[in-house]
Amino acid sequence: MDVTMNDVNSGQGRVQVRFVTSSPDIELPEGKRQLLVPTDAGRYKLSQLLNSDYMLDTQAPIPFDFLTNGTFLRTTLDEYLVSQGLSSETAVELQYVRSLIPPLFEASFEHDDWVSAVDVLSSTSPATTWGNSTISLGQERILSGSYDGLLRVWNKSGQAIATGPPASAGGHTAAIKSAKFISPTQIASAGMDRTVRVWKYKESPDHMSAELKPILELYGHEKLIYSIAVHGPSNRILSAGGDGKIGIWSMDAASMPAAPATLLPSALSTKRRKLGTSTSTPQRGPLSLINAHAFPVSSIIFNPLDPTVAYSASEDHTVKTFDLTTSTLVDTRTTMHALKSLTALPGISSQLLAAGTMARHITLLDPRVQAKNTQVMTLRGHKNIVTSIKPDPESNYGLVSASADGTCRVWDLRSTRQGTKEEGGVVGEPVYAIERQKEKGSQVFDVCWDNDVGIVSAGEDKMVQINRGKGVTRPGEILSN
Amino acid sequence: NIDPASLLPKLPKPEELKPFPTVSQTLFKGHEGRVRSLAIDPSGNWLASGGDDGTVRVWELHTGRQIWKAKIGDEEAVNVVRWRPVKDEVILSAAAGEEIFLIVPPPIANPEEEIRSRELLDTGFGYAKNETQNLTANGARKDPAGKWIRPGARLEDEGVLIKITVRSTVKTISWHKRGDFFSTVSPTGQRSAVAIHTLSKHLTQIPFRKLLGAPQTAQFHPSRPLFFVATQRTIRSYDLQKQELVKIIQPGARWISSFDIHSGGDNLIVGSYDRRLLWHDLDLSTRPYKTMRFHQKAIRAVKYHKGGFPLFADASDDGTLQIFHGKVVSDMMENATIVPVKVLKGHKVRSALGVMDIDWHPREPWVASAGADGTCRLWM
Ligand SMILES: [Mg+2]
Repeated sequence: MDVTMNDVNSGQGRVQVRFVTSSPDIELPEGKRQLLVPTDAGRYKLSQLLNSDYMLDTQAPIPFDFLTNGTFLRTTLDEYLVSQGLSSETAVELQYVRSLIPPLFEASFEHDDWVSAVDVLSSTSPATTWGNSTISLGQERILSGSYDGLLRVWNKSGQAIATGPPASAGGHTAAIKSAKFISPTQIASAGMDRTVRVWKYKESPDHMSAELKPILELYGHEKLIYSIAVHGPSNRILSAGGDGKIGIWSMDAASMPAAPATLLPSALSTKRRKLGTSTSTPQRGPLSLINAHAFPVSSIIFNPLDPTVAYSASEDHTVKTFDLTTSTLVDTRTTMHALKSLTALPGISSQLLAAGTMARHITLLDPRVQAKNTQVMTLRGHKNIVTSIKPDPESNYGLVSASADGTCRVWDLRSTRQGTKEEGGVVGEPVYAIERQKEKGSQVFDVCWDNDVGIVSAGEDKMVQINRGKGVTRPGEILSN
Repeated sequence: NIDPASLLPKLPKPEELKPFPTVSQTLFKGHEGRVRSLAIDPSGNWLASGGDDGTVRVWELHTGRQIWKAKIGDEEAVNVVRWRPVKDEVILSAAAGEEIFLIVPPPIANPEEEIRSRELLDTGFGYAKNETQNLTANGARKDPAGKWIRPGARLEDEGVLIKITVRSTVKTISWHKRGDFFSTVSPTGQRSAVAIHTLSKHLTQIPFRKLLGAPQTAQFHPSRPLFFVATQRTIRSYDLQKQELVKIIQPGARWISSFDIHSGGDNLIVGSYDRRLLWHDLDLSTRPYKTMRFHQKAIRAVKYHKGGFPLFADASDDGTLQIFHGKVVSDMMENATIVPVKVLKGHKVRSALGVMDIDWHPREPWVASAGADGTCRLWM
């Protein structure tokens, strides 16, 4: 490091700093945690200082961020002290954390039509870990669902090794809205044709091609399906319908009731509409269909900590909690706006839900029934509908959101400010904004954040786009916007 | 020394009147030439549009994705699209030239709804067959005011299931809230300019023998059996059961383009080609309670929010929409509070035409607009 103790000692004003961290692998030895630091130091200088041979003596520099009382330090220590009305006699406790690395563009995979859904299969993805399967590095798969009604599975080099069957061969008869890996060999998808479909996915021995075979067609929703959630170990699929209903389905055909005859395409006498019904694929109805919301259900998720609990977000402005074993409503949270997306975050002290609104922001809710302060924080920065949200796989504080404004934004729950009078409460601002590589400003419909692959997003530009932190950072810089 | 301004009632500031639409969120691109008309379906998920290219299109409201279209006008523009306002069936009406079409757009109806909707459209065929042909005084067969037929295999395959041919070009369609009646207006149609159609009987009737002036547009009262017809300068309300004139409303505009009745039934807004926007309190007077002139060019459409927000909007050939807060109070003697809250800019003016039509979302404070620039926009 090019920072010497001379530099450190040459500043005019100095302040006593105590460096603490919650990550044991980067903890300073007890004797080095206190240091007199020049008051003109900001984030960048502090990061250099921590990396220096006198302090952590890191092999390659680790970019750090610093928190004071739970909020990122965005100014010099001097400015911080002044803003807090503190004298430089005060000892400051700085919590240091690894900086979020800017997610740089890596690749995009071209489709024939708008891409509405993405999911990733990797060594760390739920579909892999549920079944104790393994995916070796480089063998990750990306699943996409498109407005052309087709599923595609891609390898990391951008080859579509499988393309889902067309309507005439048992595929979806309209746009796909949601698609998920259940396991390395099973996929579920749903969309505008009001069906959930389950697929067997099998790769050739050389892994250069694969087959998507329909194994189940699930009927019950009266309107299109906006979102599905899958849970491998309990063999369950959840669906969120434009009819305000939540479907609970099994992947085991034998355990499910017959499909409601009036909702089958074969109910229509019109020849044209019958196309797309494969006679060989079993058709089934739901285990349960809950009349959950007054208006369309936009998003449905399992509680990652308890798969007998589901959360849903709706255009009726509410987030609801359901007990899946009894199909009953447990809790309703009413927000100010129509909701479009939902995810669960580990949170800072307890689990949080992040709901993306039609009104361009993200609301963080505490889903615990006994919670008094239910709306914890608002994340502001998007300029259009927030279409999808996913947690950072590496941090309890990070998340990524996709929006019709043409960006994905990366957020850190520790990066906050007090909202203006109109905004109210605590407001979080984006750390990074990811633009579309192909068509700037075009809508992003879905996003997935995988530990191995990175941030994978899909949109109106007919692309799946991969962005990934490369371990090099320019400090404190917002990539764009 | 009293400042006269201090005697005026204090109007609230726009920011105190939120929510109202402020930005263009979704763009709907696909029409070739002007989009003349649009309508959001009763569920709030789909947008229908029609335009100079003779097509009717249905779009996903929150992505701008076109999911269905049919060409119903060979040489003629589609002048109007309106959803039948009942959620049990999925029925869209549209008019091109002298033809009115009733449509069940396949992608958005499930098999149950599709069968129900088709049955509803078809029941009138039986009725029409049993009906004896009207005869004129001298015993000759009278040309029916509207001829209801199947539009042919090409259109039927697309979901366009009924064609009603009237005597002259239809410019507006307005449904009665129960969904069995709708009215159409053909401004050049003289004696048969205004028609009332009964869906269950496939019956088209001409309610007025004689009309003063050329009718422009018409609408059913939201709760009483009243029917409002606008000519260029006046709006007349009729009692449909008693077949008599109830009231003549005089907005003072030179050429009325559009009007809308508040869901409470006692207030009415009027837009005019001579740039006037007028608010009438029907309890108070036949003259407007408020006259506003904000636009540089003609006003083509006015509409109240019908889903619980005290909002209304107008659309102008200057390329803008203007959003107003308009709170109707229950007190008969107190006037509505009207505050302009936002001008929405985005549509381009083409050949001196700007925004052709607007519609509110059924429950959210969102408004959609149709432009002469070939696009529709959703403002949120
Ligand atoms: Mg009054």
